[in-house]
Amino acid sequence: MTVDAAALRAAGQEAAAGNRGRASRAKRSRLASVGLHGALITASLVAVFPVFWVLVTSFKPDARAVEATPSLFNESSLDNYVDVLSGQRGNFLAWFGNSVLIALLTTVLGVFLSATTGYAVSRFRFPGHRSLLLGFLVMQMFPFAVLIVPLYNILIALGLQGTTFGLVLVYCTTAVPFCTYMLKGYFDTIPVDIDEAGRVDGLSPFGVFWRLVLPLARPGLAVTAFYSFLTAWGEVAFASALLSAADESKTLAVGLQVFSQQNRTEWGHLAAASILVAIPAVLVFYLVQRFLVSGLASGGVKG
Amino acid sequence: MAEVAYVNASRVFPGSPPVRAVDQLELNVADGEFLVLVGPSGSGKSTALRMLAGLEDVDEGAIEIGGKDVTNVPPKGRDIAMVFQSYALYPHMTVAENMGFALKLRGVPKQQIKDKVAEAAKMLDLTKYLDRKPKALSGGQRQRVAMGRAIVREPSVFLMDEPLSNLDAKLRVETRANIAALQKRLDTTTIYVTHDQVEAMTMGHRVAVLKDGLLQQCDTPRELYERPANAFVAGFMGSPAMNLKTVPLTAEGAQLDGLVVPLPRTVLDSVAAEGLTEVTFGVRPEALHLAGADEDGMELTVELVEELGADAYVYGSVRIGDASERFIVRVDSRTPPAFGQKVKVAVRDNSEIHLFHPESGKRLSA
Amino acid sequence: MRRFLDRYWYAYAMVLPVVVVTAVLVLIPLVQGIYFTFTDINEANIANPLLDRVAGYVSVGFRNYANVLSGDSSYGSFWATLLRTVIWTFCCVFLHVTIGLGLALLLNRPMRARALYRVLLILPWAVPAFISSFAWKYMFNSQFGIINQTLRALGLPEPVWLGQSNLALVAVIIVNVWVGVPFNMIALLGGLQSIPGDLYEAAEIDGATPWQRFRHVTLPGLRSVTSTVVLLGVIWTFNMFAVIYLVTGMNPYTRTLITYAFERFFAGASRDYAVASTYGALILSVLLVFALFYRGVLRRQGETL
Repeated sequence: MTVDAAALRAAGQEAAAGNRGRASRAKRSRLASVGLHGALITASLVAVFPVFWVLVTSFKPDARAVEATPSLFNESSLDNYVDVLSGQRGNFLAWFGNSVLIALLTTVLGVFLSATTGYAVSRFRFPGHRSLLLGFLVMQMFPFAVLIVPLYNILIALGLQGTTFGLVLVYCTTAVPFCTYMLKGYFDTIPVDIDEAGRVDGLSPFGVFWRLVLPLARPGLAVTAFYSFLTAWGEVAFASALLSAADESKTLAVGLQVFSQQNRTEWGHLAAASILVAIPAVLVFYLVQRFLVSGLASGGVKG
Repeated sequence: MAEVAYVNASRVFPGSPPVRAVDQLELNVADGEFLVLVGPSGSGKSTALRMLAGLEDVDEGAIEIGGKDVTNVPPKGRDIAMVFQSYALYPHMTVAENMGFALKLRGVPKQQIKDKVAEAAKMLDLTKYLDRKPKALSGGQRQRVAMGRAIVREPSVFLMDEPLSNLDAKLRVETRANIAALQKRLDTTTIYVTHDQVEAMTMGHRVAVLKDGLLQQCDTPRELYERPANAFVAGFMGSPAMNLKTVPLTAEGAQLDGLVVPLPRTVLDSVAAEGLTEVTFGVRPEALHLAGADEDGMELTVELVEELGADAYVYGSVRIGDASERFIVRVDSRTPPAFGQKVKVAVRDNSEIHLFHPESGKRLSA
Repeated sequence: MRRFLDRYWYAYAMVLPVVVVTAVLVLIPLVQGIYFTFTDINEANIANPLLDRVAGYVSVGFRNYANVLSGDSSYGSFWATLLRTVIWTFCCVFLHVTIGLGLALLLNRPMRARALYRVLLILPWAVPAFISSFAWKYMFNSQFGIINQTLRALGLPEPVWLGQSNLALVAVIIVNVWVGVPFNMIALLGGLQSIPGDLYEAAEIDGATPWQRFRHVTLPGLRSVTSTVVLLGVIWTFNMFAVIYLVTGMNPYTRTLITYAFERFFAGASRDYAVASTYGALILSVLLVFALFYRGVLRRQGETL
């Protein structure tokens, strides 16, 4: 068996194909086929429907959104979107810009931090690497939002309270532990021979990481990026506590609370705003989705 | 071009107890020489190679390349190229990029890289594949790319770690010859690791046999075959393996069933001086023959006949003392004995026997 | 020492940024947070640089722990809440893994539109939690929610989903299952694809029925994935705050340890940081005990974590 990375990668992509070939030897009966597709269609509907329903609602006026009879199109219009985007209820575009900036910074920094750490843990048996991994596991066990007060104090001490960068760092601490696990798992599937060939060809340990391992770990990095992005994109508690209260410095998730005040939720407006928020996340998802299986498969969840 | 020297070099893996993977290796390789490191798995041969590459620490002693101590030099400063068992081709680069990567890292001008890659590709018959990714190549082609990547560098030493073990049998024989020819042409010092003693015998100018991290013997293939330094080397080199049996001694020689093999006086004297009553007696299958009915010989009960076309090997049991021992005899393939038959076996020429100390395994005969 | 640095300096250089960031932003707050559990800190006595007020909280020893662990309802009925949290965690993780495995098994078959199904089924993962919560809250509404409208059309009873009853817990479990299945499905699908096809062929030649192949090839082959997925699932679900809080708010019937910690933290004028931190420390202890126990079980089965 050849075990170079090319073969591994190919095997990863063809493992499914291989199973397919074997399974299709016994042709599925018509009934089983109907059952299979039936089950998957049902599951897909359940998965998609809530989002679809928000989309439908987003075109309805608030009053129609709370009607007791469901309807797909009833006085549908783009009014909700116009209202949200026009900034009557808060500077939506500023929120959007803040969220994009914070999510992108979190993604870049989170991927960078977890990639370097994941690589070190995957390749070097340095004293302390096990406790580092255990520490990451324990870090996920404490509800950190409860630590907003001490966190607030630290950020003030560092002069980062109320700044974008401070919030990005906080998001990184929540995203990095899982991402490190995942990337470590992914790096483990890249044969060490590749690193060594690179060393012999004249690369330093950092050169190996940067020019060989990172390009080969793209699926794993894609999943990590996706995860970091989502961590920052929809978060409310830290964002409302650690950013300044001025309207133009809010993130989307915080700003949108304006549409669901205590007793009166503006369903139509909230739906439109939600769709606007979901679009970037879904776009990112679409870009990385083909990597998700292979990235996660060989990634951290293998333990 | 450079000579290579292991100066009492050891690699000790931490643990309890620590494992001495390579134990005080003392080995000199001349400029332009093709040296094969051979041994069973776990013998430390790959570790020794990786120490030379700088991929493994040297815990004791030193390593020299071209007369310079490189013990603490990282791989990139050693001017070596390595072919890995898995080839370790960079999956995200084309064949040309794989081959030119090391040159690119050294800042060699693009055109020059291109020329060198083209030249090496021509030598290895890879010109057609330069734009492909390794994934799209067959096993043999990948192996050649790995070779090409090493050649393009024009290093002072080639290191090869079982480069043929992932090829099928036919391709392996072919590539074996190609590598040997290539080495001759480039005249670059080469250290080659294998577990296959046929590769070792056919390729190496000299062969170093390792076992448990210890160098057993380093010599030309012929010397190794004809005068193995100990019972391990005798048993390891040659296929099928040498018959090695512990046999009792008499005043004249070694006592086999129905056959006394006379031993030189000097050997008998030295054995007697040590007070030994037994020796390890070794004879290769081709040094045995089927004896006529009137000759002296061991009685062997045939258990298996392996016909290989030109030759046939007879596996059978012989009683030595109370025990039944298995012997292998090479016979003419046209007239092999039948299963279950009892035949007489004798030593073809008494100078072709090997004697080893029954405990230390050291060679006894002069 | 020189040698030690020589060999490892780049490894340490690579983990240094993370270690520094987590030490500053996790370890220090954590230590301070644990310290808070021994004080009576709240919004009224905390140091406030804006008002130029210095900290006025005092040490109270183990009083917070005593109050919480007494199970008193003014401190969140700890034991009842713990039980509800365990039920919530068990139901969610069980459904995540079983539904995820079921879908992964279906997706692992050859068929048309496989890639499309996969995209659609992973979609919930990409939706930010507050939007999913909003969507489900809207659908669960007893008057104009699509779920009850459908039940009405079918002539079935229309329950008040998000009211003051255990039905609310069922509703948030449904929402969280919807949110969490994609991750589990993808992880398990990856696990399925890493089981060598030879094993299935060998089992088939040995005469194994499809069920036996599933039982003796698929499940053991997935064990390392499931053990990780379950551990992470338990930790994440135990601490899942967004879904519950955003769908049902401060409903005592959906109160878990974490949501109660948030209630104490955010709600009311007093903002009881001390009790919130105490809950945080207790959550950490419960999860640590669980993780140790879980590791022991895995080890007995010959797996490591």
